[in-house]
Amino acid sequence: MNLRHSLQLRHVDAGSCNGCEIEIGSVFGPVYDAERIGARLVASPRHADALLVTGPVTHNMASPLERTYLAMPEPRLVIALGDCARDCGVFSGGYAVAGAVADVVPVDLEIPGCPPHPDEIVSALRRFTNR
Amino acid sequence: MIVLALVAGLGVLATLTALVPRAVRVKLVAGLLGLVEIVGGATAIRVLATNHAIVGHTSSLVPFTGVRIDLTPLGALFTLTTAVVAIAATIHWVGYRRHAMSSVSLSSAFALFVTSLLLVPAAGDIVTFLVLWEVMALSSLVLVAHDHAKRDETRQAAWWYGAMTQGGAALITLGLVVLGGHAANPSFSAIAASASHLPAATRGAVFLVLLVGFGSKAGLVPAHVWLPRAHAEAPAPASALLSGAMVNLGIYGIVLARTLLGVGATWWWLVAGFFGVISALYGSLYAATSTDLKRLLAYSTSDNMGLVVIGLSASGLFAAHNAAASSLALIATLVLVTAHALYKSTLFLGAGSVQYATDERDLDRLGGLARTMPVTTAVIVVGALAVAALPPLNGFGAEWLVVQSLVHGLSGADPVTTVATAVFVAALALTGGLTIVAFVKAVGVGFLGRARSESAEHAREVPVSMRIAPAITAAACVALGVAPGLAITAISRASDAVAPNRSGLTATLSGFHLQALRSAVDPLALALGAVAAALVVAGLRRAGGPRTGAKLRVFEPWGSGRAVTSARMQYTATSFAEPLQRVFDDVLAPQHDLDVSHVLESRYYVERVAYASANDDIVERRLYRPVLALAAVLGVRARGLANGSVHRYLAYGFVVLVIALVVVS
Ligand code: SF4
Repeated sequence: MNLRHSLQLRHVDAGSCNGCEIEIGSVFGPVYDAERIGARLVASPRHADALLVTGPVTHNMASPLERTYLAMPEPRLVIALGDCARDCGVFSGGYAVAGAVADVVPVDLEIPGCPPHPDEIVSALRRFTNR
Repeated sequence: MIVLALVAGLGVLATLTALVPRAVRVKLVAGLLGLVEIVGGATAIRVLATNHAIVGHTSSLVPFTGVRIDLTPLGALFTLTTAVVAIAATIHWVGYRRHAMSSVSLSSAFALFVTSLLLVPAAGDIVTFLVLWEVMALSSLVLVAHDHAKRDETRQAAWWYGAMTQGGAALITLGLVVLGGHAANPSFSAIAASASHLPAATRGAVFLVLLVGFGSKAGLVPAHVWLPRAHAEAPAPASALLSGAMVNLGIYGIVLARTLLGVGATWWWLVAGFFGVISALYGSLYAATSTDLKRLLAYSTSDNMGLVVIGLSASGLFAAHNAAASSLALIATLVLVTAHALYKSTLFLGAGSVQYATDERDLDRLGGLARTMPVTTAVIVVGALAVAALPPLNGFGAEWLVVQSLVHGLSGADPVTTVATAVFVAALALTGGLTIVAFVKAVGVGFLGRARSESAEHAREVPVSMRIAPAITAAACVALGVAPGLAITAISRASDAVAPNRSGLTATLSGFHLQALRSAVDPLALALGAVAAALVVAGLRRAGGPRTGAKLRVFEPWGSGRAVTSARMQYTATSFAEPLQRVFDDVLAPQHDLDVSHVLESRYYVERVAYASANDDIVERRLYRPVLALAAVLGVRARGLANGSVHRYLAYGFVVLVIALVVVS
């Protein structure tokens, strides 16, 4: 998919421990500054090219996650960020957990790590922005 | 003369017909009333077509002076406007009868009200005029109070309306009696002939008294307080008549004062213009912030009457130095009066249909009516476009003429007039903007989107007659908008009676031309141009939009991922007006009440939050309430005077008699 150096991201916390959020914060902070490579966080799925999902999907967040995905214009991407998003990580088997992100919406890219290092996140995003 | 007697006779007959059994009452009364309206309208058309007033005098009916009739083209214009509005209101009434409007008292009051509205402009002397004026005021008071047994608001509205209308009538009586005392007989023509011999101070004082008296009927601020109450509480056909016909007669009265007294001094019109500007701004501001549909319309009436009085004042101010602009302003004013009558009655009848179908007037509890009540929504949209003065509807032509007269009236004006005119233009511009806000809100929140309450959800389109009635006036708005030529000859004949037309205004079937001022406009062409531009934009969008074959996906509105998107997530009328309310916070001074109650154990936990905001009329709160409170206190004190002793009462009588004798001698 050709995004022409611009990737608008909508972030959904589907039940993360917030470790991943801290790394996302630093990805868009002054050190890594992912906006240089064309990635940007937006406030509504209506404006987004890609959904950035963290955490295992809890029962309460399964439906909002799906609605967010459906509310996005096509073509759309889903990035599962962190081990929890990939396979429920340390929360696997928890009573509140409905499943991994891929069980709810189709995933295009996974970023491993608990949490992933900002370097890894940036390099993953660069695969879409080509910068 | 005979036709007018016929109108009066049929009107009285219709009033008495209300005594027939309930099953046929409304149909019979409405049928007779329709006849009254058609005969009255046809008479008015004949007067306007032949340009000959109907004059007559009979010494019977009223002792001492008799009844004098003088239906000039000016009066005929008002009678004709009333007739059109009344026809629509009567048709609406036939459908509305479920709402307690079929009782004997209300049916007869309705018939009497319509008849007196048609006849007031035909009155040729003071006594006839005042009698008809009172019949009109009292019969409409009965209509306003229709639901007095059940609703406290209705009782309040009736009190306010009754007090204001009687106060106004007292002033009008005073003014006219002073004039009549100096004339050979109480006829208006005799008064007009003799008034110029009165000292300037007397004429000025009489003008002021009449301005306030008639201004209170026209809903000018600060005498407007009855309007939002009475118009909101009256049943829809009556509100349409109040706003589409009765307030016009307030304007008729001010024009009448000018015909009786002459143009007079500059300061007369500066005072009138001041009240016009205040009314226009205040009315439009409250219309933009009201959330009750009928209150909104009532404030908009106050606003429109303000604009009309601005036009009248401009006409008076320009009379000395620029006859062309002066006569144009008068014509523009009359065009605006007729336009307002048509679109406001459309809106009030439409709002009445909404109330009939949903039992709601609060915009925040309506919504989604475009789907369930398409015809009513369509007429409301036409009315809203007209009141917002958009081409090709009749409001546009009217306001264009007012602006033209103001702009051209500047040439040759003295500094005071120049400044006043600049203020008039600014008021017109600001009012125009606020009116658009008000009606975008009314249509957007009330009729589009999703239903905000059970009753709006289950609204059903109203009976046929209630759909036809506002459609008639809406059609008239469109017809006079695209083809102003239909009415402009009649209107300029009406204004000729007051000031001869020097503006060279002519109207073809599709537009206005001002030869003397080298200016022209073609509302139809403007509208067609706008439609063409919209089509071009739509075509360009299509050409530049998604490729053919792209698939269209429809998904629910974004509700932050929540499963329920409730109607409460929509924009409300209150939130739409909130920024404006904030800007005009100092003027409106809305009252907010925030009440937070905490859990007993900890102040960090909130148990309940109650928020109430009220946007009540500030003139009423700051001006009328203190006066009323004082009157109440004085009333309680005065009870001490009446202690039941007959001797004391006899002494009072004696003292008053002595004082009266001293004053008289
Ligand atoms: S992957 Fe690790 S840091 Fe990220 S949400 Fe799961 S537990 Fe937290």
